[in-house]
Amino acid sequence: MKTRARRVAPGLAAVLLATVAAFGPSCQPRPTRHAIGVAFETLQTEFWVAAIDAIRADLASRGYDMVEAIADGDANRQLEQVRSFVARRVDGIVVVPKDAKGIIPAIKAANEAGIPIVLFNRPADASAARSVAVVADNLGIARATVEHLCALARQSGRKQKAAILIGDLGDVNSIGRRDGFDQAAAACADAIEVVARIPTDWNQEKALAGMTNALQAHPDLGLVFTSSDFMLPSIVSALKGANRYRRAGEPGHVILGGFDGDATAWRMLEEGTLDATGVQDVYFEAKAAIQALVDAKAGRAVPPVVLDPGFVIHQGNKAEMAPRMWGAQVARRKAAGA
Amino acid sequence: MRRALFVLGDWGVALLCGAYLVALAPFVPGLASGPNLGDVFSNVLPLLAVALGQTLVLLTGGIDLSVTAVVALASVAGARVMTETGGLLPGSAAAGVLAMLGVGVVVGLANGLAVANLRMPPFLATLAMMTFASGLAIWSTQSQGIAGLPASFRALGASLGPLPVSLLVVLPLALAAHLVLSRTVLGRWIYAVGGNARAARVSGVPVERVLLLAYAACGACAGLAAVLYTARLETGSPVLGQRIFLDVIGGAVIGGTSLFGGRGTVRGTAFGVLLITLVDNSLNLLGLSSFTVLMVKGGVILAAAVLDAWRERLAGR
Repeated sequence: MKTRARRVAPGLAAVLLATVAAFGPSCQPRPTRHAIGVAFETLQTEFWVAAIDAIRADLASRGYDMVEAIADGDANRQLEQVRSFVARRVDGIVVVPKDAKGIIPAIKAANEAGIPIVLFNRPADASAARSVAVVADNLGIARATVEHLCALARQSGRKQKAAILIGDLGDVNSIGRRDGFDQAAAACADAIEVVARIPTDWNQEKALAGMTNALQAHPDLGLVFTSSDFMLPSIVSALKGANRYRRAGEPGHVILGGFDGDATAWRMLEEGTLDATGVQDVYFEAKAAIQALVDAKAGRAVPPVVLDPGFVIHQGNKAEMAPRMWGAQVARRKAAGA
Repeated sequence: MRRALFVLGDWGVALLCGAYLVALAPFVPGLASGPNLGDVFSNVLPLLAVALGQTLVLLTGGIDLSVTAVVALASVAGARVMTETGGLLPGSAAAGVLAMLGVGVVVGLANGLAVANLRMPPFLATLAMMTFASGLAIWSTQSQGIAGLPASFRALGASLGPLPVSLLVVLPLALAAHLVLSRTVLGRWIYAVGGNARAARVSGVPVERVLLLAYAACGACAGLAAVLYTARLETGSPVLGQRIFLDVIGGAVIGGTSLFGGRGTVRGTAFGVLLITLVDNSLNLLGLSSFTVLMVKGGVILAAAVLDAWRERLAGR
């Protein structure tokens, strides 16, 4: 029985595989409704979940199907996923690149198949491959946010000592935010003096250690800007340790600003401990990405870079701007779920 | 039942691959199309290179957790050597390939020495090596990818007509591994060490040397996979291959390689890797959420591991 089965199994396997090999290549993908392939690097932070939800909603409103793939931080898997979209002959591809260089072969694969491809929130390095990048105006949004913080510093009546938490300097988003801070700080040298530049490499532990050190070196620190809201818990922890965590308007309050517009930032805006944050307009970026694909498919000209101008949300406009702040929507959904 | 469990070996997995394709093709858009089957084939090859090396180590009763970090370290080392923008030997694809293979062999030998001579548990020795190699890759590049690789190297990631160039590398590797395991004394020694190391030693098998060779070969295979992955992405990356470990182990185990050592074949691993790549590809084409894909793949591998444990129990080991 065992021997016979062992003899039969290779034959059966060969027949099955040969059948697929013979007839498979002639089986083209079935035409379906218009479909867009959406390949994200990760869904491990609220920002990316909000972004893919926004893309899904926009596609549904236009009557498109969405084919989803998450690379889980693996550039090679992302290449395979984009290639599978190409094999399926989707109408367009949205991709959040894991790697600005490693994404180029995937763009080339889409180019060769004549499928338009949009890079969402992260651009690729310069190459001959053709794509559209929808990215936040990191520099402009950070500058506007820090200008608002400077105005608050001026209102305080004394020159404030300031600190910036810098992200990974290999990340173009991080560099743009740092440059935006520097431009605004240089323009308001009368109101603030930058005394600490804290490197974090996008790491919360490094942010906490750096912030704690800055508060020890400068107990009278009066203004802090973080290049990403996800480091706000580290800042709050350090401020609490130094007994400096106060609401805006309370004596000893540290003027606090961020970037991203996540749910933590919204909660802190609501409780009055965060003064302002620069918001990446995820809903704008989702619409712009899909519109770019639709336009490219229709043969209309699309610029290689579409900038999300974003906006600053602060204590004075939070009620008005909350519907456009993705973190506020995430926080409200969570609250409703609870 | 007992017989069925043993029969479901490598050819059983091949049957499963065929049945899976035939059953899902009508429901998964594009699954059986020529371009997609070509993609599946080219996705299998680099993963198979890593899985073949891992199979050798699994056969000795060990495990090499460092293979993913070796892929990353070899990728950046080779890219740094040959990149046309400030490389040590700009434009020299041969030097880059040798550097990648060299990194794999050196790390593999270090693992082998730790396991064979220092008697460290394979899990601990290779976990420590994984942490070290991964840290070294990230530190040496400051998390930056290395582009500007020579065209002659990038050609390794391309295709010749319908066939990926990497086939010319992985097919000979698989044949060599198959011949070593099935036709040579070394192959018999590897199975003997994995079956019962103490008995093998008493029988005159040079256990330490066999372990050293198995881990070195495993490192070399990971270095070779780094060549193929780096060529595909046209970039040396310090985080390359970070997430492939489950697929590597899954491919070997699904193909019938025992996690307890002493049983497994190159053919089985090849079909196991094919099945796991097919599952991944088909679920992607279906557009299922990443969480679903992970759960399904985890379930398939878990089922294969449970089957392996049953086999061991039935075999009375």
